[in-house]
Amino acid sequence: MGDKRMHKIPGHNDIKWDDKNSDKFRGDIKETGIGFMGYDFDSATEQFKVFLHYDQLYYWKYGEVSKLGKGFVEGEFWGTQCPKCGDKFFPPRVNCWRLDCNLERSDWIKLSETGIVHTFTIAGWSGKSSLKRHPFVLAYVIVDGCNTSIANEIRNIEPWDPEFGMPVKVVWKPKAERQGTVTDWWFEPADGWKAGPMTPEKERMKKLCQPVIEWVQTMK
Amino acid sequence: MHDHLGLVGLPHVRIENGGNTGGSALYGAFLAVKSGLFDCVGVYGWETMDNVTQSQGSEFIALASDTRYEALAGGIYPIYYAAMAYKFMKENNLTEEDFAMAAIKNRNYAADNEKSQFYRSDYNNPKSPYYKKTLTVEDVMESRLISYPLKRLDCCLMSRGGAFTLVTSEEWAKKHAAGNYVEIAGAGLSSCTIRAGDRIDYPGWNEKYGKGYPDMTEFAACRHSGEVAYDMAGIEYKNAAKEIDVAEVHDAFSSSETQIYKALHWCDKDNIQEFVREKRTFLDGDVPTNIGGGLMGYGHPVGATGIMSTLETMYHLNDTAPKKHLSSKTYVKDADTGLVNSHAGTGTSISNFILRRP
Ligand SMILES: [Zn+2]
Repeated sequence: MGDKRMHKIPGHNDIKWDDKNSDKFRGDIKETGIGFMGYDFDSATEQFKVFLHYDQLYYWKYGEVSKLGKGFVEGEFWGTQCPKCGDKFFPPRVNCWRLDCNLERSDWIKLSETGIVHTFTIAGWSGKSSLKRHPFVLAYVIVDGCNTSIANEIRNIEPWDPEFGMPVKVVWKPKAERQGTVTDWWFEPADGWKAGPMTPEKERMKKLCQPVIEWVQTMK
Repeated sequence: MHDHLGLVGLPHVRIENGGNTGGSALYGAFLAVKSGLFDCVGVYGWETMDNVTQSQGSEFIALASDTRYEALAGGIYPIYYAAMAYKFMKENNLTEEDFAMAAIKNRNYAADNEKSQFYRSDYNNPKSPYYKKTLTVEDVMESRLISYPLKRLDCCLMSRGGAFTLVTSEEWAKKHAAGNYVEIAGAGLSSCTIRAGDRIDYPGWNEKYGKGYPDMTEFAACRHSGEVAYDMAGIEYKNAAKEIDVAEVHDAFSSSETQIYKALHWCDKDNIQEFVREKRTFLDGDVPTNIGGGLMGYGHPVGATGIMSTLETMYHLNDTAPKKHLSSKTYVKDADTGLVNSHAGTGTSISNFILRRP
């Protein structure tokens, strides 16, 4: 029955989507598709500008890594592991990345919700949807000894206090608020971890954060 | 675009490869001419980033990352780059001030070029705090936090712009552009993982460059495509900084320019600090880099950038820099060998080219 390395794709009629939540977090958002909203004209330079608005619900499918999304909703971390070489992946890879493993299919493994900070930064500016959260710490964390790291926020910490190699734990949103994405959880310092003393570098980071904190306070 | 340039009927290919779009298009044209099928290929790119605000634009660009695992967590490219840069800074004994060297270099060179975005928005704008000012490391250190260790002046600009070049056979160039053309002596294009988080110890790169490579600090695709281009042009890696007379590299961030110095074999972990502090990439150094202002000073209209970098390198090799910059201050005289670097994602796709005065 075919090549075991292939990703299985259920037939269109084989998927019933019996657990539908597509409107669960929609709020007041209405799909309007594309629409012309108005125009501006500059008489001096004879320049004409048309305003459009585009609003469209779309989706991606997790496909073969669907267990990851379902796991997030349930409050579980699922990664994958190559049965040949033992490499562990989070986020999961369906096929091993080692050419010697010849695209071997990985197995699902449940991971502990702990990790080690590989590197991090203090974000003081970001995309429109994240501006009010600043300053926040974004870290690349190696979860449960995997061979890869994943980016997410570290909360419950002063922005200047994270350290390379510090232990972190996963904290989940309340179940009713989970959407099956990486925003269902974040990292926090592991129990028992204590921030080190202030250093000149941390003082420098703290000073850089102050205008950002003040700027965010002026936002509605 | 090809329609309104009157090119209907000719073969056309759209190449979209993020920040490496220009370099990838140049690479495509290089292949087309090298194959012998075509003797004259037009390469053009553009971007109109001022149609949206900077934070909206950043979010659009972030959709080019792995949206499942990265963009949703609030990450935009400056944040990913900052996380990589911070570890690079620590492991290579560098400081924020060392990164700032590239930031002031490129902007101050851009101030010599009326066409550059920094000149128009800041240097020649009485309302800018940088009006008629030669930038210093302190200016960079005092600029607003974007994502530690990067501040506003460590980051490139968002731009509206376009660029065009022709890639032709040597016969065509001799006939139509005698005394003006330059040769593509080497070309390399390489890819890396979409997520920087997958690079801590990547098996494919381990085989080539050793255990623990590239980590989140090294641009493996830059090193590899650079080596391919050096090999083609007959440049020994250890002599690269001496053989290259002028370069334009992808300074999306001051930190990336610094990381690129190392990836291109201009320096290594042991001497990168002195390489930066001795200003080896300034006009009077071994490898004058981003004399045209780069992405931080000239601008970064994403689809046009790699072509802009190619042209800015060419201006020194065919001695048109004084005319193009309307100044002789930002002109590298007697340059014979140039390097062009174009870079996408978090180092996900990178090309390098060696250009030579024929
Ligand atoms: Zn394997």
